[in-house]
Amino acid sequence: MSSPASARRVVLVAAATAVALMVAVVLGLVIGPVSIPTTRILGDLVSHLGLGHSTLTSTQSSIVWQLRAPRMVLGLLAGAMLAVAGGTYQGVFRNPLADPYLLGVAAGAGLGATLAIVDVAKAATIPTWTPVLAFAGAMVAVTLTWLIGGRSMRSTTATLVLAGVAVSALFTSAQTFLQQQSSAQSIANVYIWLLGSLANASWHSVLVVVPYVVVCVVVCVLAGRALDVMSVGEDEARSLGLSVRTVRLVVVAASSLGTAAIVSAVGLIGFVGIIVPHIVRLLVGTSYRRILPISVVFGAAFLVLADTVARTVMAPSELPLGVVTAVIGAPVFVLILSVRRMGNA
Amino acid sequence: MVRLDQVTLRAGATTLVSDVSLDVDGGSWCTIIGPNGAGKTSLVAVVAGLRAPSNGTVVIDGQRLDQMGERDRARLVAYVPQHPEVPVGMTVQEYVSLGRVAFHGVMRAPRTRDRAAVADVLERLELDSFRDRDGASLSGGERQRMVLARSLAQATKVVVLDEPITGLDVRHQMDILELLKKEVAECGLTVIATLHDLTLAGLFTDRLVLLHRGEVVKDGSAYDVIRSAELAQSYGTTLRVVNVDGNDVVVPVRADTRG
Repeated sequence: MSSPASARRVVLVAAATAVALMVAVVLGLVIGPVSIPTTRILGDLVSHLGLGHSTLTSTQSSIVWQLRAPRMVLGLLAGAMLAVAGGTYQGVFRNPLADPYLLGVAAGAGLGATLAIVDVAKAATIPTWTPVLAFAGAMVAVTLTWLIGGRSMRSTTATLVLAGVAVSALFTSAQTFLQQQSSAQSIANVYIWLLGSLANASWHSVLVVVPYVVVCVVVCVLAGRALDVMSVGEDEARSLGLSVRTVRLVVVAASSLGTAAIVSAVGLIGFVGIIVPHIVRLLVGTSYRRILPISVVFGAAFLVLADTVARTVMAPSELPLGVVTAVIGAPVFVLILSVRRMGNA
Repeated sequence: MVRLDQVTLRAGATTLVSDVSLDVDGGSWCTIIGPNGAGKTSLVAVVAGLRAPSNGTVVIDGQRLDQMGERDRARLVAYVPQHPEVPVGMTVQEYVSLGRVAFHGVMRAPRTRDRAAVADVLERLELDSFRDRDGASLSGGERQRMVLARSLAQATKVVVLDEPITGLDVRHQMDILELLKKEVAECGLTVIATLHDLTLAGLFTDRLVLLHRGEVVKDGSAYDVIRSAELAQSYGTTLRVVNVDGNDVVVPVRADTRG
């Protein structure tokens, strides 16, 4: 575990991860209650790009193009963003338990979504503006965390994490209060949203989150070398010429913004941000220049595969995606800890 | 080369360093000594630019540290902390290469001249055969040699070291200090270090600065400072200097055995 990974091994892992992504994409498009041949699905997708023509019926084409494809693409974006955000948080906070929700994104988004849902307590469904308030809540929470724990010259990653804990507690208590004041239906809706799902994915939701995810993923991946420098500690990193405060601000901003965008679209999906970077770290070593780009691909593949499980294992009903990632993630995390313990022994 | 002008460092109501003024010549080795809590670590953190002084200025090679960005400062002064962190899984070569970040930046890969500088340092410090080893798996002596290599890869005129021989056996202590002495003599490096071992401080150093409660209480040649009354007073114990084969050895004396 502690031995540095060879370049050959890194290439092999990257190639295997790319193959896993392709498999996940194909399964995400092919598996569903309506059986449609793979080649005809691919023909339909190509026809939407203006090449050739589809051999699917209009119903089949709608299933592929309006339901499965946007869901698969949103899954790719969510998995990539959550994984890379988890990896960068683990790097910048030098804490293996850091996840993308560390600075209050989850609590803020939860409060925002609850505000939207209990506002229309009589409605049986989740209102359409829930993502907007969830995004706003997430950004307010992270900004508050930064203002409390990250702004001053004396601030450290520890003060930032503590501020995140305090802000999360505050927002969670406000959310609990709102839920306590609302109807059973709206409480149920809040929980449906909190557990995370790709079921409401559409090309519109994809287009809304794409700019955030692309920019934030690129920024996080480019921060890999800076995070490697930070792995020797903040004082030493500064003595080596790194502007630790700037790196911390940029990385936290990119990770939080991208995570907030994803959470507003798909709810809270746990474990991806923790287990994916850890698995990648076990395979390619501790350099963030390797961990982050591979986590992007691995996270995307992982979430699409998890979603495929979520929508097929209890078909025709669906399991919440957050439940599936937790069921897979918890034992995997225990396994990772065991491997690390053996490596340290 | 290094000038401290009335430097004071406070942390809340506590004064860690009080009104310290020093001039350290280029190509010399100045060691800060003093009992625990004297302010040695705080003072070298100020000299390395990691703590901004509450009052006073630090000037290195004519440039004020508080007016420099991190990257420029890292090309002027390197720092070795008392307990360097060596990330698990990082090779010796990768670790030493961190010393070149100030030159190529964090958005670019090391260039040819950066790789050449790292190769040169690895060779000088006889670390070639370790280059692909996990730095965290090295022995204490090898690890400290690697940390020193990282600081030398920064190619600075000044290196600041906080207790660089802590936790090492005598042979490795001598090994590290000889390496530094060689860099001072052959490359004109300016070294500012803190040391607890008064004998080794006296053996390797051109100049000793005795710090007590944040203030300089004695500043001079090793010969003078280790024989001064201020030394024993600062440490609060009786010390004797014994000359063995031309080397001054500082020996503590137990109260009930004083003759």
